[in-house]
Amino acid sequence: MRNPRPESPVSSVSERLPAANAQAPLTQLFESLRPDLLRFAHWLARDRAIAEDIVQESLLRAWRSRDALKDPAATRPWLLTIVRREHARLYERKRLELVPLEEVVDTHAGPRPAEPDGDLFTLRHAIMKLPLDYREPLILQVLGGFSTEEIARELALSTTAVLTRLFRARNKLRVLCGMTAAPDVGDGGDAP
Amino acid sequence: MNCDEARLQIGGEPGASTPDLEDHLQGCPECARLRLEMRALDDRLRQALAQPPQLLRSRRPSPVMRQWALAASVLLAILAAGALWLLRPSATLAREVVAHVQHEPQSWLATQHIDTPGIAKALRGGGVELGITSDKIMYAQSCWFRGHYVPHLVIDTAHGPATVLVLRHEHVGSRVAFHEHGMSGVIVPAGAGSIAVLERGGGDSGNLDEVAQQMQQDVHWLPESH
Repeated sequence: MRNPRPESPVSSVSERLPAANAQAPLTQLFESLRPDLLRFAHWLARDRAIAEDIVQESLLRAWRSRDALKDPAATRPWLLTIVRREHARLYERKRLELVPLEEVVDTHAGPRPAEPDGDLFTLRHAIMKLPLDYREPLILQVLGGFSTEEIARELALSTTAVLTRLFRARNKLRVLCGMTAAPDVGDGGDAP
Repeated sequence: MNCDEARLQIGGEPGASTPDLEDHLQGCPECARLRLEMRALDDRLRQALAQPPQLLRSRRPSPVMRQWALAASVLLAILAAGALWLLRPSATLAREVVAHVQHEPQSWLATQHIDTPGIAKALRGGGVELGITSDKIMYAQSCWFRGHYVPHLVIDTAHGPATVLVLRHEHVGSRVAFHEHGMSGVIVPAGAGSIAVLERGGGDSGNLDEVAQQMQQDVHWLPESH
């Protein structure tokens, strides 16, 4: 079952780039997508400096492999996939130190003055608390706009396992936001 | 479709709709409510993810900060290396030699040759013998220097008086030249230790080296037990 394209806050390539720009040099196209990539990496890595490193390395890799990109319209998901893999590579290579979230989040701070909605502040905090196994497919789906099948391919999981992770991710967010948890579903072959 | 399957579908893809799911939701208010809640959650989720998590402090310094940190580290390393250079044993030794000679300004003014017993007295405890004639030595003392008695001599040369300290217990890897407090000098490796030669003023490095070479030949190092 294909997930209908969510109304991603990250606009698609075709929306972002005028038609004339579709023929623009690849470097410009990459650069125009850098903010999206950075936001995506930031949510994955939960650290701005690491996210910047990941994006930088990803763009270098993408540039070296630019011949593999046949369809410019597919640039964004292609780059997001590279970013995700670069994050996974870094995560495995460096075994990024596990720091209690309270050490990196200003837990005592309420919504910042620029934060109009305290609920969103709470929700962002809750997303950051999700384990990577749940956070990753959720970000791929909601922020990246990937379908369940695409996520399954990317994470080498069955579609049922991906759905299970997505269900649990949302269920955890419900709890973290003070709502009642829905009854859990079976593992579906997934045991993160 | 049962409730488990419906919840999995709703929680995994809140926006999705299939005939099976719609059939189930018509007869299951709980699952229908769950879908409403999940869709509302997804709306807020998209808003939340639209911004990077600004609430986080970086675990690592930013790349710019890292560059500054790297530059600061390099600077500190250079400063540390400089301090080590300045305080390296030979430089410190030279400074102490100069300081010692400064404390005996009268040594430069001696005009009478020291007799043999006087020279022997100065050499006592220094662990050396001298092969030069006493008529060239204008000043001879056994001085306490860095925990040992060392011969402190002033030798009459064609270019004026030259101070010599025979440093049995001080080692230098190679010739060290210095100019400090109005004195110029060299410290050269010699035998079991080293020899320091100083002149007042700018100094003639040729004369200093000549005296040092002569002293390297004239000083005979005695076994440690002496």
